[in-house]
Parts: sequence; C-alpha cells; structure tokens
Amino acid sequence: MTTLNSTRLKPTWTLAGNSLLILMALSVFLPFFWLSLGSFKTGAQLNNPALLLFKPTLENWKEVLRSGVLESAYRSATVGLVTVSLSVVIGSMGAYAISRYKTGGSSTRFGILAAQVLPPAVLVFPFLEVSYKFRLNDTLFAVIISHLSFVLPVITWFLIGFFDAAPKEVEEQALVDGLSRFQAFRKVVIPQVAPGIGAAAVFGFVLSWNDLFYALILAPGNSATLPVKIASFNTFRGVELGAMCAAILVAVIPVLIVSFFIQKRLVRGISGGAVKY
Amino acid sequence: MSFRLKLMLPLLAVFTASVGYPLLYAFYLSLTNYKITARYNTRLVGLKQYIATLQDPNYWSALQVTGTFVLLAVFIEFWLGLFIALALQKQTRIRNFTRSFLLTPMFVTPIAIGLMFRFLLNQQLGVIPTFMAKFGLSYDFFGPGKALYSIVLIDVWQWTPFMVLLLLAGLEGLSRSPFEAAKVDGASAFFTFRKITLPLLVPVISVAVLIRALDAMKVFEYVFAITRGGPAIQTMTIQYYTYQTGIQFYRLGLASAMSYLLLIIVMVIVVILFRRIESTRKNP
Repeated sequence: MTTLNSTRLKPTWTLAGNSLLILMALSVFLPFFWLSLGSFKTGAQLNNPALLLFKPTLENWKEVLRSGVLESAYRSATVGLVTVSLSVVIGSMGAYAISRYKTGGSSTRFGILAAQVLPPAVLVFPFLEVSYKFRLNDTLFAVIISHLSFVLPVITWFLIGFFDAAPKEVEEQALVDGLSRFQAFRKVVIPQVAPGIGAAAVFGFVLSWNDLFYALILAPGNSATLPVKIASFNTFRGVELGAMCAAILVAVIPVLIVSFFIQKRLVRGISGGAVKY
Repeated sequence: MSFRLKLMLPLLAVFTASVGYPLLYAFYLSLTNYKITARYNTRLVGLKQYIATLQDPNYWSALQVTGTFVLLAVFIEFWLGLFIALALQKQTRIRNFTRSFLLTPMFVTPIAIGLMFRFLLNQQLGVIPTFMAKFGLSYDFFGPGKALYSIVLIDVWQWTPFMVLLLLAGLEGLSRSPFEAAKVDGASAFFTFRKITLPLLVPVISVAVLIRALDAMKVFEYVFAITRGGPAIQTMTIQYYTYQTGIQFYRLGLASAMSYLLLIIVMVIVVILFRRIESTRKNP
C-alpha cells in the first residue's frame, strides 16, 4: 500500500498533491451543494443564484414526489436487479467455462470484449422494431433485454478475470472428494470469487441504473425509468427549476450512499482482474 | 453434451438474442428504406443509405465533433486523473474518505449531471456565470464556439474519477522493488516518476485510455440535456445525430446505416490500438 511513501518526497510535492486533492474535493462538493440549495428555493429566490440564506420551501420536493419519480426509481431498480441477476447467473457459468476449459479459444474472449465496444445506436433500432412487432414497446421487458446487451458482457468479462486468478487446487481436491463438477463449481469455486462477483454485480447495476439512451427510446412513456423521468424535468421555466434540482437529487442520493460502501471493494476488484488482460 | 457446453449454453443463447440478432437485424435495416411512418412500403435499397450517409456533410461534421470531443476530454481526464491518483496514493491521512468522495461523480446518471451543469452554467440563473460577472467576466458557456468545450468540461468532471480509479488500481499493483532501488540510488521524485512509474504503468494506461475513449464516443446525455446539438450543429455528436435521424425523423434505415458505418470506424480503431497494446506488452 505504501509503495511510494518509502521514497521521501519534498514538502513542495506533498503540498502540491494535497492542494490538488482539496481543490478536486471542492469541485465535486460545490455543484451538489448548489443543487441542494436550489431544491429548497422558491421560483423567485432561484433568480438570485448567489442567495445563501433564505427561508427554505418544501414545495419542490412535494412536486417531485407527486410526479411519480419514486415509481420510476422503483422501475429502474427492478430493471437493474433483473438484469444483474440474470447476468451474474448466466455470466458466471459462461465465464467459468471460458476461463477453466478455454471454450471457443480466444475468439470467445474477443467477442465478449467486442460487445462492449458496440455503439448503442447500432442495437437500439432493432430492439425498437422487434418490440413493436411483439407489442412490447414501452414495457420494462424491452428495456431489460437491451440492458442485457451491455451488462452481460461487462460482468462476464470481469468474472473471466476472477476465475483466471482463482487457484485450481481446491477445486481439484473437491472433485477427488466426490463432488460432481457442477457441485464443485457451485460450492467451491463460486465462494472463492464471491467478492469479485459482488463488485461486478454492483458495477453492472450502476450501468443499468444510469442508462438513458436505451430506456428513452424503448420505454419513453408509462414505463419510464428514473433517467427518463429526470430528463422530463428538463425545463427552464422558473417555477419548475426548483423541482428539477430536487429530481436530480433523487437520482444522485441513493447512488452516493451506495458508492461509499462499494468503492474500496471496487478498487480491489479492478486491480484483481479487470485491468489485466 | 459436455459439461463446459452446458455451462456455456445460457450465455450463448442470451448473447445471441441480445447482441447477435440485433446486430444482424441492424445490418438488414441499413439496406432498406425503412421509415417508422411508412413501414408498409419497406423494401431493400442496397447500399443507397450508406451512400447517402457518406454524402451527408452533417454526418462528417458529427464525426469531427465527436472526434474533437473524445480527444480533448480523454487527454484532460488522463493527465488530471494521473496526478490525482498519484496524490491519492501518497496521501497519508483520511485516505478512504477522500477516495470515496472523489470517485462519486462517475456513479451518478449522466443525464442528472447534464441537467445539473445546465443549471449551474446558465447565463441568467447559473451560479458560476453570476460569480464571474462579479469580477466583470461575461462568458456564455453554451454560446457559439464555446458549447463543445463546456460539454468537454462536464465530461471531465464526471469521468476523471474513472481514470483515477483505474490508474490508482494500477499504481497500487506495481511491484515495490524498482522504487526501493531508485531510493537507494538517491533518485529524485520526478526522475522516479518519469523513468519508473510511467513506463511500468503503460499497460494500465493504455487500457484506461482505450476504455474511456470508447465510452466517450457514445456521448449523448449532455447533448440531449443541454444543447440538442446546437448552436447550429457545433455539438451534434454522432450518437445524438443518429438518435435524431432514427427517432425524431423516423428514418430507421438511414440511422442504421449511420451507426453501422460508425461501428466499422470504431472496430478499425480498436483493432489498431489493440495491436499496439499487445506489441508494447511483448517488448516493453
């Protein structure tokens, strides 16, 4: 952990580094802070952006809650959970076959990598067309299928790295002890990479939770996910500006809380596999 | 059926349904004159949509705008991210909190970030122009010739943390011995950085820059939230232009041809860069 701490740094370098960090922390903090202020301001108070002390109003928050933002957050969570659960189950089996048995050789690995490179604009129109045909447009089903197209490759990619790094001896011992190969996979291999699966799952969930492009095109109406709902607050009429601030915060707050809990694990997860290929 | 095939089958099936099939279907669409408003007149038109795309000056402009955006944003994000990662690595107090806090922007949905900056940078209502006005500065962040740079700025704000995350993971994974040797030899911090840290970090740097660049090419939310391609077509990125053609003008055939051309361009870039990365790994 202290790789470079051992080389003695001149105080100027340390000072420069810490100043940079403080500056960056401020630039992360201040936009969120101003947004929070705005969400408690009335339309008239919003005309004065520098106003710091004022009597707060809860009107904006009430309006946002009335507009169905919570329902769309619930839909986003549903989409994310279904997509990630499917991806973890399917992806871990596939990743294990790819890592342990070299299924399909290097072309499978390249295919999974290439899938993450596809511009969403290529895939979205076929999704739209097919969902029209089956009358699935404006449903969460269409959104989930489209999210699988980018969450599944990412999660599988992460997991291949983790399986590559896991030692084979324990698993071979389990086979000797009389477990079937699937039992060995489920009861011995999976627990070894569980932290990695956790990091990959959270990463995949965030990707799905944040997607606007697919959801906007496939389900712009009654099944709007949170980003689509937030986009509908895009207005610059004074009265609704406060509501827009509150709506943005609804999207920001849960992610901030979650991200605080997962980051340490994510740094470790990434250094454990994803960046080494 | 063998064990490994049973394990692969679900992945193969879902992959085919959610990636393979749409990919082929998009290619078929790109060969037709499909319009959502005239769907019963759909017929194959060969390469007509591709020719139309190549002759469309707006498509080339969108490519150029996207290219400028990606180069600028990734360049700034890399250098800024590298310095932040180095500073974080050497930080001694409140390490975990600083890390968590600085990484937060990358977890927030980009549309929210786009709207937030639209609000903060707005000429009349935004806090940043208001403060600048107090110092006698007037700057229209989304005016002609400036909007694209403001979009770059927003991208930098949101995605530098991603660079930091990957570079920090890379830095902490470096072996200690070259640094100890440098210390024994009395090398300066700057020398150590240039001659040891950077070269050792090259594999991680190439991956981080590649991932970020490919992701930046998909920029859509900031444009959708703030400029809608304007002023004129100065912030019309390729992703937004395709969206406009397919969804607002209903020309799915043409939009599919546009995105397929983009796919070809992206694939060429990826293959070239991938070979580079491979060759640097073999003979560093």
